Amino acid sequence: MAGRQHQTDAGLVRVHGQRTMTFLNLRPSLPLQRSKSEPFTIALPPRAVSWLQVAPLVLILLVFFVSPTTLFLVVSFFDYDRTGLYPAFMLDNYRELLASPATLRLYGSTLKFAVIVWAITLFLGFNIAYFLIFHVRNNAVRVVFLLLCAIPFLTSAIIRTIAWIPFLGRNGAFNQALMALQLTSRPLDFLLFSDFAVIVSYVHLYTVLMIGPIANSLAKINPSLLEAARDAGASPWQAMINVVIPLSKTGIALGSLLVVTQVMGDYFVVRQMSGGQSASIVSALSTEIQAMQYPPAAANAMVLVVVVAVMVAFMMRVVDVRKELVK
Amino acid sequence: MVLRYDVEMIAVTKRYGETLAVDCISLRVPKSSYCCLLGPSGCGKTSTLRMIGGHESITEGDILIGNINVAGLPPARRGTAMMFQNYALFPHLNCLDNVAFSLKMRSVAKAERNKRARDFLDLVRMADYAARLPAQLSGGQQQRVALARALIMQPSVFLLDEPLSALDPFLRVQMRQELKRLQRELGISFIHVTHSQEEAMALADLLVVMESGHIRQIGTPREVFERPLSEFIARFIGGHNVLPWKSGRIAVRADRCTLGMVGDCPRVTGRVAVIEYQGPVVRVALTTDDGGEAAALVPDQLFYRQSVGVGDLATLSWPAEAAHELAH
Amino acid sequence: MEISSTGARVGDERPWTFYALAILFGAFLVFLYGPMLVIYVLSFQGPEGGVTFPMVGVSITWFVDIFEPGQMANIPVSFSRSVALATVVSLATVAMSVAAGLAFRRPFPGSGVLFYLAVASLVMPGLLVGFGIGLGFRFLGLEPSLFTSALAAQLTWTLPFGLFAMFAVINRFDRSWEEAASDLGASSWQRLRHVTLPILLPGVLGVAMMAFTLSYDEYARTTLTIGSKNTLPLEIYALISSATSPTLFAIGTVTTAVSFLLIAVTLLIVFRTQRRRGLIPSG
Repeated sequence: MAGRQHQTDAGLVRVHGQRTMTFLNLRPSLPLQRSKSEPFTIALPPRAVSWLQVAPLVLILLVFFVSPTTLFLVVSFFDYDRTGLYPAFMLDNYRELLASPATLRLYGSTLKFAVIVWAITLFLGFNIAYFLIFHVRNNAVRVVFLLLCAIPFLTSAIIRTIAWIPFLGRNGAFNQALMALQLTSRPLDFLLFSDFAVIVSYVHLYTVLMIGPIANSLAKINPSLLEAARDAGASPWQAMINVVIPLSKTGIALGSLLVVTQVMGDYFVVRQMSGGQSASIVSALSTEIQAMQYPPAAANAMVLVVVVAVMVAFMMRVVDVRKELVK
Repeated sequence: MVLRYDVEMIAVTKRYGETLAVDCISLRVPKSSYCCLLGPSGCGKTSTLRMIGGHESITEGDILIGNINVAGLPPARRGTAMMFQNYALFPHLNCLDNVAFSLKMRSVAKAERNKRARDFLDLVRMADYAARLPAQLSGGQQQRVALARALIMQPSVFLLDEPLSALDPFLRVQMRQELKRLQRELGISFIHVTHSQEEAMALADLLVVMESGHIRQIGTPREVFERPLSEFIARFIGGHNVLPWKSGRIAVRADRCTLGMVGDCPRVTGRVAVIEYQGPVVRVALTTDDGGEAAALVPDQLFYRQSVGVGDLATLSWPAEAAHELAH
Repeated sequence: MEISSTGARVGDERPWTFYALAILFGAFLVFLYGPMLVIYVLSFQGPEGGVTFPMVGVSITWFVDIFEPGQMANIPVSFSRSVALATVVSLATVAMSVAAGLAFRRPFPGSGVLFYLAVASLVMPGLLVGFGIGLGFRFLGLEPSLFTSALAAQLTWTLPFGLFAMFAVINRFDRSWEEAASDLGASSWQRLRHVTLPILLPGVLGVAMMAFTLSYDEYARTTLTIGSKNTLPLEIYALISSATSPTLFAIGTVTTAVSFLLIAVTLLIVFRTQRRRGLIPSG
């Protein structure tokens, strides 16, 4: 039996030939050793651990987000002149701001862009997300397509915006292509330095912000729900309205949130692409800041914050985003 | 003091907030026995197992493992090892590193811990897969590795959380035999949670039936099957008819019933509702005259000699001593 | 029998919607990449050419131009500043997001407030945040600079992103791995080090990469908080305002190539690791 037996530390004895589990003869149990690398630990209640873990994040947000916001809330009530700021509590800044027709025009223009861009990116974003999740069958291909959509987002927005200039200009590639195809005899002027150009830029930059969250929501829909709808006699259109869209509410809300706030807060695209015909709220703000007119700029900022907050609160009312993200 | 019980639970209660998951249960698991906790979902069997293993805190009561009160002790210091329902093999470590993990946590030198890990992989016949990642293994293979990983700690009590549920029926029977053999050879106690009465009866030395946080019956499988204490147990364990009788209820094994009148034997009458071929037996279920259900498991040859059809009037009889009174 | 998400059996004819949407998607990709191609082509513009078509010869003069510090812009220096800042932002974001993400696994008082605070920081227009911080620094008599005010301003942007990304990553993490680790004798620190973090690593790498690119391209928050030394996006903006030349496009091509490389490498690592660990279905 010597050749067959095989002694190891644990005293294993292999049974000759049988396809059974090998039998095990253990020596008397080793006493369980205390883990050597366990230092003296203080038992903390789980809540305290959580607080410690979020502490750095909370600190940064409090100091560098909450306090600056509070700061320009305070400064918006200050007095000012060419030489500096005077701490005060006056509503003049707000009065001037809200009474001025320029403000209304500005907000109107920016809101107009926000709504148009939101509608277009929603249409594009939803359809593309739907295509990628429900029509593409191969997993690898789907990932590649998603990446293709996402990669441009991660390169500089500035460069992507100015890339439209040689494309849409009078001598630009698009016009030249149109003329080559003889669709028009003269270059189209409205393409560049116009509202059209601004909207095109926004859509180019921000559609991916819609595709991402919506695709995420759509992917969570159990395919058997659609089969069940089909079984119950629903047409594809009915299935879309009654099953798909309600279940992708969160994605739509998130995407809308991201797109709208980006447009409301933008100042580069409008400046570049509208040729001076339009301005955005924030670009007007930056002009005031550069002119060192801090109190009116702060007032302007506060009004913008309130408007954006209202829009965001509305969107989050419609969909409980928190429940979806944090399980 | 001589150790008579591997695990003792004394008036143990578990509350999750307002919900009472385990209600004041007491249990003694004798040395080196195979104990099965059996019950429907939500009965508290998994919570009980996890309390023994230290993965849930005990709200009230005490648990002794090897005569040591383990309240407050972390899992690693209880002498228990657990096999999780989904095996919980670390996806980023290969099989060898998975098995050697507990030794690494105790700062055992690399050469030695790898050697011991290989021995245990050998034991479960997975030595060839040492370098593979769990994702590359089948369910049955993952389970063997999970076994090796738990056993390398040389626990005094081995806890299994529905280990066979994820396997296909054939593999289930195979693994069942190996678990039983392993328990006998190791000489330690296994506590095995399951919702399958067939599995529990095949494996257990001690069968514990639980329901709604209580222990309803403890005994050998034979005791529980022959003499279920309550209607719930009779129905859950299967193969029993529960019938109203005199002022209470009785349980009669379906395989002890015959179709047709037999002398003076107690009987019920009704109409045949279901005829189900099961291979060695045919299950014939009647809707009794008072609206209940009663079934007989008739040996197939016997069945096909008679001509019984659905809708026929029929009688079900059983020997008087086969009836067992149920508690209220 | 394979069943696709629409309930159709594989091998079925595609509905007309498939073709319509496919065309839409194709058009979108052209729309997305079209201007980029214009940049790449124009960056090879001849020395006599301007910022629009037609191409006057082909050359790499504009690429060479990048490396010569002109009076208007100093690309290599601002580039290195961008990279340095982005690295610090990335590391800080990862550390804080991972910790906070782990904290959110159990309910704790204030978690709701913190969540909405993060959302608020995410949607606040960047320029306003920069404005507020710049103002604050001036009031306190401090000079805004790269690694203090600019860093902090960018963190208010990357941290919410990182936090939400960690939510998604941690959702896929199975708690039983941690329980098994405890069962096998790991202390809390050992469990974190040997089980939790290694398994989360691919997701964490994704967060790091995302934070890096967000910082690297960041403009609005940085511009008011950085003082006099520019990062690359600011330098580019200065270039645009002063004199447009194909150098801009050359920069665009180079930065795109760098971003692309970075993303491709990180994704390759992440994808490979997750595939091996069986956490991505391959079919």
